[in-house]
Amino acid sequence: MIRQRKSTTAAVATATALALALTACSSKAEETGKGDGGGGDEGGIATDIGVTDDTITLGSLTDMTGPYATLGASITQAQQLYVKETNEAGGICDRQLKLEVRDHGYEAEKAISAYTELEPSVLAFVQFIGSPYVTAVKERIDEQDEVVVLPQAWSASLLGSKYIHMIGTTYDYETINAIDFLMTEKGIEEGDTIGHIYFEGDYGENALEGSRHAAEEAGLTVVEQMIKPTDEDMTAQVGALGRAGASAIIVSAGPRQAASVAGVAAAGGLNVPIIGNNSAFAPQLLATDVGPALMNEFYIAIPALPIGSEEDGPQALSETYSAEYPDAVLDSGVVAGYNAISLFGEALQVACDNEDLTREGIADAMLSQESVDNGFGIVHNFSDPEAPSSLESFITKPDDSVPGGTVVVREAFASDMTGSFSRE
Amino acid sequence: MSEPMTLSSLRSPQGLVAYLRSPQGMKAAAWLGLSVLLLILPFYLERFWLQAGLFAMAAAIGAIGLNLLTGSTGQLSLGHAFFLALGAYGYCVFAGDPDSQLVGWGLPPLVAIVMAVLLAGAAGGLFSPIAGRLRGAYLGIATLALIFIGQHVLFNAHDLTGGYNGRSVPTLEVFGLSFDNTRVLVGGVPFQAMEKLWYVGLVMLALGALFARGVLAGRPGRAMNAIRDHRIAAGVMGVPVARYRGWVFVLSSMYAGLAGVLLALVFQRTVPSYFGIILALEYLAMIVIGGLGSVGGAMLGAFFVSLLPQVLTKYSEALPLVSQPGTGGGLAPGEASRYLYGAAVVTAVLFLPGGLVRLPAVLRARRAARIKARAESSRNMEVPT
Repeated sequence: MIRQRKSTTAAVATATALALALTACSSKAEETGKGDGGGGDEGGIATDIGVTDDTITLGSLTDMTGPYATLGASITQAQQLYVKETNEAGGICDRQLKLEVRDHGYEAEKAISAYTELEPSVLAFVQFIGSPYVTAVKERIDEQDEVVVLPQAWSASLLGSKYIHMIGTTYDYETINAIDFLMTEKGIEEGDTIGHIYFEGDYGENALEGSRHAAEEAGLTVVEQMIKPTDEDMTAQVGALGRAGASAIIVSAGPRQAASVAGVAAAGGLNVPIIGNNSAFAPQLLATDVGPALMNEFYIAIPALPIGSEEDGPQALSETYSAEYPDAVLDSGVVAGYNAISLFGEALQVACDNEDLTREGIADAMLSQESVDNGFGIVHNFSDPEAPSSLESFITKPDDSVPGGTVVVREAFASDMTGSFSRE
Repeated sequence: MSEPMTLSSLRSPQGLVAYLRSPQGMKAAAWLGLSVLLLILPFYLERFWLQAGLFAMAAAIGAIGLNLLTGSTGQLSLGHAFFLALGAYGYCVFAGDPDSQLVGWGLPPLVAIVMAVLLAGAAGGLFSPIAGRLRGAYLGIATLALIFIGQHVLFNAHDLTGGYNGRSVPTLEVFGLSFDNTRVLVGGVPFQAMEKLWYVGLVMLALGALFARGVLAGRPGRAMNAIRDHRIAAGVMGVPVARYRGWVFVLSSMYAGLAGVLLALVFQRTVPSYFGIILALEYLAMIVIGGLGSVGGAMLGAFFVSLLPQVLTKYSEALPLVSQPGTGGGLAPGEASRYLYGAAVVTAVLFLPGGLVRLPAVLRARRAARIKARAESSRNMEVPT
């Protein structure tokens, strides 16, 4: 009996010791400070997550091995270039910038994991490819992590958060601007029929909202053709649009589909203007057989100056980028990535002037930017979480004689029809 | 070697020591240690690892189900991802609150889980006339159709699924406990969704594993193996082949449904593109790598396939030849992790044809062979003298 009691005592003692050990040596045990302002350095600058006395760590969730590999590579390289330039010039707020990049290959599990992994150690995310995954963590961003995210996606479904800022106009406004261009410069009139070939999913469906609105405003008829990202031959769609009497075609799909539309239309004698959203073109297309067709009556609406522009911003970027990455292709991703991180850099500077490099400080600094122009042709306003940072688009045209393969045919503008547009 | 162990012999310390030295005692102690370890992990691991672990647990539940079908009954299914989706979206619809754009029934989450699993089972049941008649690769091709139908519906049934960007997953609430991101201090450690869900995952996995073991160890398990090994002989012995195939398909779908529910809870949002053909193939890879036909094999394979890419992506920057992405030169970490993952899969299949679960047996056999060889060679040495 005594023995038995002894062993019981031992068991109780072990259990107690275990319970104590559990909590005592866990590094996860609650420390004071997290979440309520955090510490500060001698300079009096408040900091919390991702900022030390000499480094500011930024997260980047990219796709370098999946369907958006070329875009992801361009964005990431452009952002690394910005980091390098900024650090050589002394950094921001006496701190060096550092990018933590995770490649998720556009896979849900990896993307969410990468976010979870980086979130506790970065000040903000300057790149996040994949709107489904941004939406997936949106609730966490808003209610829990309160971290600024600059997604590389232009779908309106990401609007409405004071932490998530899209750079440039969303696809719906872009499509309205595209139709405005067709009407003012390509002779499309009230009563005409236009065709819209769009991807299943948020990109295409968001663009479709724009074309439906513009059509209603301008008295046009839209013939809709939904396709899947795996559909690459557009013969059936273009044929259907031709039979429906479309006098212009909008393409809210990928470069392959846009090339097919242009090629099929040219071969079939359907001589109508074709206009694509910014994701519908890649400079590599110009070297293919459809190159001549694309340079004929094909246009692209884009949310910032193209990389081949003569303006200072893109010109300087294309020179330094080509020097840093001699083998890389100059495409819209280069501008998109650099544009995003340099706008974030401006906000970082504002936060530094406010002596508040906390997540809250940077979120407020972002929201306080009502008119910021970083040399890419667009003035951004980040103060309204419900609206994109700009409603303006450039209209460009493929041209194989310039780097990046596109030239501007109409300077930045926002159509009058954007004013009356509201989302469901 | 020792007298049979009874409960009374454990009362004395000597009895306990003797028990712990016996093979079954060691096994019990190992299980106890493992369970304690699993229970205390949320107190130490970062959120990233807990999340990775939860993905692995969900994968393990799904893989156990697929292994019952493919490993034990010999029926190939490529449609597993479809049933995972049914579980995940089913839970969202049953537990979600209706709003202007989405259908939701607003049921209590626990009821919703049960219903989501039943829904997956019912869908499996609808398919079972086909599952009962077709075998092997033919069933694989038929189930492939489910993936494509599923993808189309998930992308386009906006009211139910939320379309391309999916819908958010209602929080699990059981008996007043809420498994959401609100911070609850447990022994000084803040518990958020991942810490809390860890225990849900453990319970689900333990129940799923025990049930599958029960099925395999009993009469149904023998019947399933008989169907796999020799269909006609099984039929002659009185096993209702078609009915068994149909029921195993239903059971495996229900496992997939449960795995889908857990995945949804961990993701906190369901995304349609996740439930595609790649996921279905990954589940097949899990059971092949882990070992066909056993519960342990399915779990090992699931952990291997779902944890390895995560570990590689996290640490591949530390490898030689790998550079920061976007800085030029060298391999990007994402690419490196894919190569390594591929190499690991090939190695596992090549050198462990019976799966990871056979690893201890293979090592033991090697050691026995070595000892035998050494004994023989030493005997040979003695002969000349």
